[in-house]
Amino acid sequence: MTYQSIYPFVAIVGQEKMKLALILNIINPTLSGVLIRGEKGTGKSTAVRALAHILPEIEVVKDCPFQLQEGDPEGICAECPRTECSRAVISGKEVEKTSRGIRVVELPVGATEDRVVGTLDLEYALRKGEKRVEPGLLAAAHRGILYVDEVNLLDDHVVDVLLDSAAMGVNTIEREGVSFSHPARFTLVGTMNPEEGELRPQLLDRFGLCVQVEGLRDKDARVAVMERRALFDECPEDFCKRWEEESRSLVSKIKRAIALYPEVTIERSLLFDIASYCLEVGVDGHRADIIMLKTAKTLAAYEGRKEVKSEDIEVAAELVLPHRVRRQPFMDVVEDLSAGQAGMEDWKRGHMEASSRR
Amino acid sequence: MITLPLNATEDRVVGSIDLEYAIRTGERRFHPGVLAKAHRGILYIDEVNLLDDYIADLILDAAASGWNRVEREGISYSHPARFILVGTMNPEEGDLRPQLLDRFGLCVEVTSEQEIRDRVELMVRREAFDADPDGFLSRYERKNRELSLRIIAAKEFMPKVRMADGLRTFISELCAEDNVAGHRADIVMEQAARAVAALAGRSIVRIEDIQEVAPLVLIHRRREAAPPPPPPPQHENHDQSKSTEQQPEKSSQDHAPDTPDQEPRSQPEAAPADSPDQDERGSEEKREQQGFRQVLERVFEIGQTFSVRKISAPKDRVLRKGSGRRSRTRTGQKQGRYVRSSLRGNKDDIALDATLRAAAPYQIRRKNPACLPTRQAAGKAGKNDLAVILTSEDIRHKVRERRVGNFLLFVVDASGSMGAQGRMVATKGAIMSLLTDAYQKRDRVAMITFRKDDAELKLPPTSSVELGARLLRELPVGGRTPLPAALLKTHEVVRTIFLRDPTARPIVIIITDGKANVSLGHGRPMEESLLLAARLASDKRIFSLVVDTEKAGLVHFDLARRLAAAMDARYFRIEDLKADTLVHIIKEATS
Repeated sequence: MTYQSIYPFVAIVGQEKMKLALILNIINPTLSGVLIRGEKGTGKSTAVRALAHILPEIEVVKDCPFQLQEGDPEGICAECPRTECSRAVISGKEVEKTSRGIRVVELPVGATEDRVVGTLDLEYALRKGEKRVEPGLLAAAHRGILYVDEVNLLDDHVVDVLLDSAAMGVNTIEREGVSFSHPARFTLVGTMNPEEGELRPQLLDRFGLCVQVEGLRDKDARVAVMERRALFDECPEDFCKRWEEESRSLVSKIKRAIALYPEVTIERSLLFDIASYCLEVGVDGHRADIIMLKTAKTLAAYEGRKEVKSEDIEVAAELVLPHRVRRQPFMDVVEDLSAGQAGMEDWKRGHMEASSRR
Repeated sequence: MITLPLNATEDRVVGSIDLEYAIRTGERRFHPGVLAKAHRGILYIDEVNLLDDYIADLILDAAASGWNRVEREGISYSHPARFILVGTMNPEEGDLRPQLLDRFGLCVEVTSEQEIRDRVELMVRREAFDADPDGFLSRYERKNRELSLRIIAAKEFMPKVRMADGLRTFISELCAEDNVAGHRADIVMEQAARAVAALAGRSIVRIEDIQEVAPLVLIHRRREAAPPPPPPPQHENHDQSKSTEQQPEKSSQDHAPDTPDQEPRSQPEAAPADSPDQDERGSEEKREQQGFRQVLERVFEIGQTFSVRKISAPKDRVLRKGSGRRSRTRTGQKQGRYVRSSLRGNKDDIALDATLRAAAPYQIRRKNPACLPTRQAAGKAGKNDLAVILTSEDIRHKVRERRVGNFLLFVVDASGSMGAQGRMVATKGAIMSLLTDAYQKRDRVAMITFRKDDAELKLPPTSSVELGARLLRELPVGGRTPLPAALLKTHEVVRTIFLRDPTARPIVIIITDGKANVSLGHGRPMEESLLLAARLASDKRIFSLVVDTEKAGLVHFDLARRLAAAMDARYFRIEDLKADTLVHIIKEATS
């Protein structure tokens, strides 16, 4: 799929919450992902694929199969299958670097375990009689986005693997004669239709944020969806060009937020708010607290502020808590948190005004 | 510290032939696996309850004997493998086999902090760490080092720690009281108590040391829920509670710290005290519901749930498709966990690593042109520019194994007789438990309910167990008991399952008190039922269970037992379904 034929992110009508969750994850990858739940045809997949338009660039060692940065402290270069550049690294020479957009790596539902974690390099083993690791999808997704469409249909043992490395940020391979481990910190983005069955609570918790999408109720908005889609299908290039300016302004906003994020501070009293939110709802563990704090800070950075406001926390609560409220396998996932509703409405209004320029 | 990933294959766990060396020299040399790497260290398994059974057996074996013996692929080798096994698991995802569970010396349950202040502190530290990992580390470095020095000192001191014989008796009493299996608990507890004393720098074990470690040793070994360990038979000290409390005090006096670092140690005391009111809800609602006395149709609440004993179809050699977590099966698909290799198997699922290892020792000979029979192969390989010459006898195939979910067909009696004496409440609790179990094992479920004059397939086969749960919640009770109709319906449903997949192994769970009183034709209802049950039993692929809901009392009809006998089914009372498993015990212990 070429860049041109992807529907632009900024041209998606409505679904502000979903867009916001995705943007927040781009700004701060430590939010560890988004789960998008919703009925069919609500633009879940379109939105994730459209991220390609707005992802910032990162610097990587050229052709590095593990997407490492120069001077990464991981120190796996000594065992790297790509000997040319690892030799250079070990002898202290400069390696070639390139800059490219963050990647969205798609994990198909039918993927096999060996392709996900990596395996013995067949061809190399046969040709040279030596063992070499062939990196899998987790290696490709390092520092990027791992996208799983229909994540609830994923094979069980593949889910186990995901759980393993999503938690530790490291993928350890001990199979088929190879022994290797490499960093695998990725943003996990999943889409699912709840009608097809729920996710295992363990996996559910690994998604930092969760949004519920539904079809638009507003007639005008529905018309806008049709119009834009028709225009896009007619001539994707023109359509993309028309939205390019807005895409670019969003990218630069994201970039500014990334730069601002380390400076964002939060008052101690607000931390107490977060903790009491989490206690009230009765979440398991502490991931919710941490993610909520990070989400609130990221929101502030996105809005160009250096301090977190209590509204940020309300919005964050709505993104972070719904899928964690569920404590037992059969309780239905809470779809809305009425407590955070007001905050989201306010935020949405502000955002709508900003984007209604067009 | 060595991490064992869940997807590890056998050859990497125990070790195998050194491929490269074998090709180069033609000699077999052992290439150590994870167990060798973990020797004198820690073997960490995250999500240990999801580990493949086969791999778990290998680890068990090594952990028990301290040696890893390898007899495979033409090598015979053994090396010491003494390691500390550390596992983490989320009990929601299923249990650990008791055998594996017992290998873990100690077991702790962690819960989240309930104190707001602690939660805030946790966030603050996490943020500080994320913002500047190095700085954060260096701030805690001194403390880390102090702790490790203390551990080293305690380790050296350990042999000098003495324990009075009376305390040894106390330990064995504790263990006997909790009805633990074997003697590992006693031994572990003795060692652990001495370690606690050593850490505190005392050369004599006190009774508090034993009390401190006893819950850690016993929680996962306890076989019946027993009351907590009794108060010490001897004198009570003023600081009798737990020596965890003294330790932080001591260390904080030594080096006035800016932040209280010892929190995690004292946390287990605070947490459980706050949470016990969770389980009560179910039974309260139950009581409330029993107050209602409507005659005809009622909807009962779901009674208390419990964790279910292991129900799985017997293992066989049939290859089947699908996924899930109930019954283990060999799979003929190219999916599933590749656990080991064998000579026979699926033709296009070659285990290349094993094939190469098999071929490696012969490479030098095969490349030698003097070896006539292999020269042809060598010439052919040369053209392809391959370094390894393979012949057909080297080929190994992957043996893959996966658990498959079964198909669970619930046949639920919703007749009026089930409404008596709160039976339906307990029954719903039992079904709910089975459904939870089905969810964890990723089964497909269907539900037939029968009442009044007919049986109906309320829940067509689905993998959404949630739908089943919702249906159960709304299931009304009332009317007569058309058991024959239900069995006929069961037959129909099972037949369509077999049409779709002849290798399926449906598990039929009939939940009834067996008091059939509506017949299909002109026969007596019970006779009809038994006849139909026998017909269901004739298909050996069906594995069936009858759950008797009749309360044990003076009047016994034992109709359900007769039904089970006719069906060749396993017979359970609701109480029998409960499993004495880890989750169960922990729940009871903490509430």
